[in-house]
Amino acid sequence: MDWSSIGTYVPFLLKGAETTIYITLISLVISTPLGLVWVAGKMCPWKFISWPVSVIINVTRGLPMIVVLFYIYFVFPDIGITLSSFQASVIGIAFCFSTYIAEIFRSGIESIDRGQFEAARSMGMSFGKAMRRVVLPQAFHVSLPPYSNTLVMMLKDSALASTIAVTEMTRQGQLIAASTFDNTTVYTLVAVLYLVLCLPLMALTKRLETRRLKGA
Amino acid sequence: MIEINEVHKRFGHVEVLKGVSFNVSKGEVVCLIGPSGSGKSTILRCINGLETYEGGEIRVLDKKVNNRDKSINDLRRQIGMVFQRFNLFPHRSVLENVMEGPIHVNGESRAVAEKRGKDLLALVGLADKINAWPAQLSGGQQQRVAIARTLALQPQAILFDEPTSALDPELVGEVLQVMRTLAKEGMTMVVVTHEMQFAREVADRVCFLHSGTIVEQGPAESVLGNPQELRTQDFLRRVLGGPAPTHCENCQCLV
Repeated sequence: MDWSSIGTYVPFLLKGAETTIYITLISLVISTPLGLVWVAGKMCPWKFISWPVSVIINVTRGLPMIVVLFYIYFVFPDIGITLSSFQASVIGIAFCFSTYIAEIFRSGIESIDRGQFEAARSMGMSFGKAMRRVVLPQAFHVSLPPYSNTLVMMLKDSALASTIAVTEMTRQGQLIAASTFDNTTVYTLVAVLYLVLCLPLMALTKRLETRRLKGA
Repeated sequence: MIEINEVHKRFGHVEVLKGVSFNVSKGEVVCLIGPSGSGKSTILRCINGLETYEGGEIRVLDKKVNNRDKSINDLRRQIGMVFQRFNLFPHRSVLENVMEGPIHVNGESRAVAEKRGKDLLALVGLADKINAWPAQLSGGQQQRVAIARTLALQPQAILFDEPTSALDPELVGEVLQVMRTLAKEGMTMVVVTHEMQFAREVADRVCFLHSGTIVEQGPAESVLGNPQELRTQDFLRRVLGGPAPTHCENCQCLV
């Protein structure tokens, strides 16, 4: 391991980390509302909506994310949709994670005792108001720890974008390692940087879990 | 005020209500008693539209109960419901639970709702718990908050679905006491209960349900004190812990 070259590598890796953060944040911003749309669709009483949504969710959950990325990047151009590698990676990651998030929120909603909904309805609340005022706040509270954990996974899985040539942190590492053969230093640095990015998010998850134990 | 006429209800292939009829007039306290699975809770849930029913008709305040119609929300506002498992909103404080209906259903101002909420919590003996969370209260206290929450909507009648069944024995009394006060003040109440002493003391009328039909109904004194039907006698004997029923030697009927 060559400590003296750390100073040379770090700026390149930080440049890659910036892209990693962008991919994560944009994926988060897209996947969360999309996940909520899936939940609404899946829990919809009309079969012609809930059934196709269930199929989309289950198919996506059953595919390796890397295959989804390859599909979007390499196969979509055949049907006339050409995307840059950055766009393809963000869309692929956001899409896959939206289905995971949908399942987190759905299980959160289903974990709320039906009596809560009935109590709200028996007070004269409409379906929407009962969901908004009573069920969803509680479901959100239950879902928050696994949701924040998903954020950690999203950050780490953004490394998959390197496979379709997005120069995020892992890809930057690969490039440096290939030209210097200093694998140990480079990949140790990459690992440490991922950890530094993940630790605050993991602390957040931990905090949300404790809050849930203490809170009502 | 509440008219139930030949109501039929089935869950899948099982018919749980087989033509139930009874009326509740204003200011009346009606207790529904009967063994588990006899349809007591189901009829209560049909009255405020938490369950649908297939046959017959339920009319509340001269309007047909139809939970597919928007009018059901107006109707539910006027017919409160208290549940066996309290169903307080755990993410809101005691006072917020009580204020939820007035503010978000009736559209009252916060100040008005808060004042009534505090008064009602004082009425049920929980004035010192307004800022507590439901999880910090005992079962009896939670049920009293649930009653205050129902009263906050100023309903014309309240349906109680086994309000003391989930409580430890020593906490039952405090909830029944609140219900006695309400009955005394002239609140119309339909109570599904296993508390026979309470029924005898407070109910104007008792209906005994068995297998989805009303077997016997009448003034509390006569249904509970001098039941005419064998099934009522058998049930009361089991509930009140009397001697086991014996069979008549000639016809095998219960004696």
